[in-house]
Amino acid sequence: MSAIVFESVHRQFERDGKSFPALDNVTLTVADKEFVALVGPSGCGKTTCLRMAAGFEAPSSGRVLVGGVPVTGPGPDRAVVFQQFALFPWKSVEDNIAFGLRNRKVPADERRERIAGAIRLMGLEGYETAFPHQLSGGMQQRVAIARAYVLDPQALLMDEPFGALDAQTRVVMQEELVRLARVNPRTVLFITHAVEEAVYLADRVAIMTRRPGRIKEVIDVRSIRAAEAWDRHERVEDVMDLESFVHLRTHIWRSLREEKVGGER
Amino acid sequence: MRPSRRFFVGITTIAALFAVWAVLTMVTGTVSTGRFPSPLQFWESARQVLTVGYADATLFAHALHSLKLVVMGFLVAIAAGIPLGLLMGWSRRAEAFVNPVFLLIRPIPPLAWIPLAILWLGLGDAAKIMVIFFAAFVPSVINTFTGVRMIEPHIIEAARMLGTGRRRMVREVLVPAASPMIFTGLRLSLQASWTTLVAAELVGALAGLGRVLNVAQQDIYPAMVMVGMAAVGVLGWATTRLLAMIEARAMPWLPARA
Repeated sequence: MSAIVFESVHRQFERDGKSFPALDNVTLTVADKEFVALVGPSGCGKTTCLRMAAGFEAPSSGRVLVGGVPVTGPGPDRAVVFQQFALFPWKSVEDNIAFGLRNRKVPADERRERIAGAIRLMGLEGYETAFPHQLSGGMQQRVAIARAYVLDPQALLMDEPFGALDAQTRVVMQEELVRLARVNPRTVLFITHAVEEAVYLADRVAIMTRRPGRIKEVIDVRSIRAAEAWDRHERVEDVMDLESFVHLRTHIWRSLREEKVGGER
Repeated sequence: MRPSRRFFVGITTIAALFAVWAVLTMVTGTVSTGRFPSPLQFWESARQVLTVGYADATLFAHALHSLKLVVMGFLVAIAAGIPLGLLMGWSRRAEAFVNPVFLLIRPIPPLAWIPLAILWLGLGDAAKIMVIFFAAFVPSVINTFTGVRMIEPHIIEAARMLGTGRRRMVREVLVPAASPMIFTGLRLSLQASWTTLVAAELVGALAGLGRVLNVAQQDIYPAMVMVGMAAVGVLGWATTRLLAMIEARAMPWLPARA
């Protein structure tokens, strides 16, 4: 079953009494346990798509379904990882991760177990009682990912989660996410403007046009990854060096560049 | 500057000020003690009001009376002000309803309530508490409101996507997120409480530090006036300090400030 479905989604924005189209007939499905990256020029509406799946915004027309149910508002079945982490600064690492479980009234025993699991999974042992401001950006984003993962959500919605991290931390987190996807596959919608990141992480990459955003092309990375055995390589840089990787990346770059050139008037 | 050094410098400054005061009033006589009391007169008056009493009570009783009124007025004001500020910050509708009334009351200086308070409630405690309430209420509402409005939108969105119910949204998200501003409001409210209390007691009171000041003025007793002022200063400082200690305890997640 398809976990996330965008069905002919349109979205208008109102400004000064005039209406601007932001999204134009976006149709996209993310299968169960599939990792789809959405790339596009800035301002194309990719974040708006994610925010609709999260329930923070509603389509002007069309439907967004998660697990077959139309999205009407935010909820813990669709966990969001924000670019700015959005941790609760007044709560310890542990309490941040526990927050969603406590909302769901998960019994204390099970809660402790799941929190410990999430902390182990994200390599946060020893930081349980630290406050977010005591951690580096990379560690804070690990907490945010743990906070989302621990809910065991139907869909993980990641909005440029590594956009605020430095280059080295970013690479570590990308490797981590790939490892996580192998151990514990989830349905993921991942927004990024970094093409290499999209190709490295995703099963499929959806390319959007410039505003008003449409889905221009969807590229199946998974079959190439399997055929070319990318997973033999542990490190990001080794994968990114493979001819098949470079080829895909260049293809997506060209596709995006057409949009950017077209956008310059 | 190191804290110990800072403390030393502070003590030195105060000691120097005392020395200048003593010299000007007692040695050179540059300042007439009829207008400005010497340290010795100040000390004598302090002893008088501490032991024998002045204006119908000892300093301790006056101070306790004033302190009690400030604490009561302040607590009632923030108990009403913080929830109202939270409500106005969270709900645009509540803000639309309450704000016009608030805009009407806000520009009225708290001291302007004193005549009405005395007409309605007399010279007793109730009138003072009413005046303190109006003085302390406004800053606690405004700062709580601003604190809620300044919360990073992603924090609220994160709480919503985690399925946070209304109660926990208020208690575990809005209040802690707004608490730095809430405490700013409390500090301003506390200052306003002392200011208005002393003013109200000056206009008319049966007991309290303002009454000490008032009676001493009528008795043309500058040393006692200064003792009263010093007592207000010490109490104001002590309550502010207590609030700062509560603030530091209440927000352990904030990076330590100098």
